[in-house]
Amino acid sequence: MIESLYTPLALLIFPGGLFALALGLVLKGLDRRLAARLQRRVGPPLAQPVYDLVKLAQKRTMVPDIACQPVFLGAPLVGVVSMALAVALVPIPGVYTPDVVLGDLLVLLYLLTVPAVVLMIAGSASGSPFGAIGFSREMAMMLAYEGPLVLVVASVALRTGLGQGGLVSFSLSEIIAYQQAHGAFLFDPVMWPALLAFLAFYPANLGIIPFDIPEAETEVLEGPLLEYSGPALGLFKIMSALKAVVVLGLGVALFFPLAPDGMAGLLIQIVKLVVLMLLGVTLLRVSLGRMRIDQAFRFFLKWPLALSVLSLAIVTIA
Amino acid sequence: MNLKQMISAQARRMAARSPWIYRINAGSCNGCDVECATTALIPRYDVERLGCQYCGSPRHADIVLVTGPLTARVKESVLRVYAEVPDPKVTVAVGVCPISGGIFRDGYAVLAPLSKYIPVDVNVPGCAPRPQAIIEGIAQAIEIWRGRL
Repeated sequence: MIESLYTPLALLIFPGGLFALALGLVLKGLDRRLAARLQRRVGPPLAQPVYDLVKLAQKRTMVPDIACQPVFLGAPLVGVVSMALAVALVPIPGVYTPDVVLGDLLVLLYLLTVPAVVLMIAGSASGSPFGAIGFSREMAMMLAYEGPLVLVVASVALRTGLGQGGLVSFSLSEIIAYQQAHGAFLFDPVMWPALLAFLAFYPANLGIIPFDIPEAETEVLEGPLLEYSGPALGLFKIMSALKAVVVLGLGVALFFPLAPDGMAGLLIQIVKLVVLMLLGVTLLRVSLGRMRIDQAFRFFLKWPLALSVLSLAIVTIA
Repeated sequence: MNLKQMISAQARRMAARSPWIYRINAGSCNGCDVECATTALIPRYDVERLGCQYCGSPRHADIVLVTGPLTARVKESVLRVYAEVPDPKVTVAVGVCPISGGIFRDGYAVLAPLSKYIPVDVNVPGCAPRPQAIIEGIAQAIEIWRGRL
């Protein structure tokens, strides 16, 4: 009985679902608060993302005449469901190991691409020209950052696999077990190029300022989200909060999963996510301006891609 | 008061802390827009404390700030953009122009007052109004908006 309840509970309440949503909203709230403090103002209350969601739930959803209604309203649902599944796949070291029935690292990689695809579909289904611009920019960004991500994950998997005497290991629990036995990849010079590439990847995936080109408010008026209002827009906000938890959690699992068991492990995981969010997202977003799409594309094909290829090469040799 | 009413009252209270602002320029001379965009809503006065957020799309908006005397040229566009703001919404007319036309009031292309075409909830007179006045107008609009949720 308990065994059969474990996976649904994981999806709906503890690491996934409600817990992850609360954690994601707190991360967003902290991000906005620290950004305000860095600009020397008071800033919104910590619960501001929750207020926004409650507000959006009470507004009306309007569908443009020229939009394809089923796709327009279905896209945010698909996005939220994909991220809710993905959250249940991210392990919390010492606390939660995902059931292999759900899938592992490769499934997680595929699920991580869904939000970007959903935004593209939403933008093109809305029938707005800004949505179409957002679509093409989102696609260019995705082409730019997915390559480095796959190579980073491959080099982590290769390092773990070779260390265990096999070839590659696409199992998050093995990657974590290996690092707990041999030290975190964060302190392993061989893995530093991969770490740097990942540090460039996750702001782009979360769509924050130097890389928020598809949703740039001042030029394409939030692009794919332009035509959304009310609860449908709220679903996109939920999707992006969950995505923050997934991407940062993946980063912790790949590079620094050392943690004690039980409650302390959970607290340490939360602290790690907050640190990653504040250092990698907030500081970046208040200190840089937005890149143009060609600059961002060139940047990703130059540095993170080169670093991740380099890391794959030195992992193979080492 | 039963549970359902309590929940909906609480939800209204929370929602009133997240008013998103959208600006419509109805043929303004840009003076009020400068006051809105670069003076009243910058970090120095920090309307984000009230939960306000500037949004690029009328579909995300709750409070609409309208500047300018509503010229004949932009009338159709203004009405169309205004209709795209989902209910419940509140309109704030910023500057003296939407009230009377201001210095443009006798112009052949000026259709002021704005309230002939759009229901205006709060007037913030001034040419251009001070940032404190605009923030006061937004605060009053939030009060009105709370009643409409």
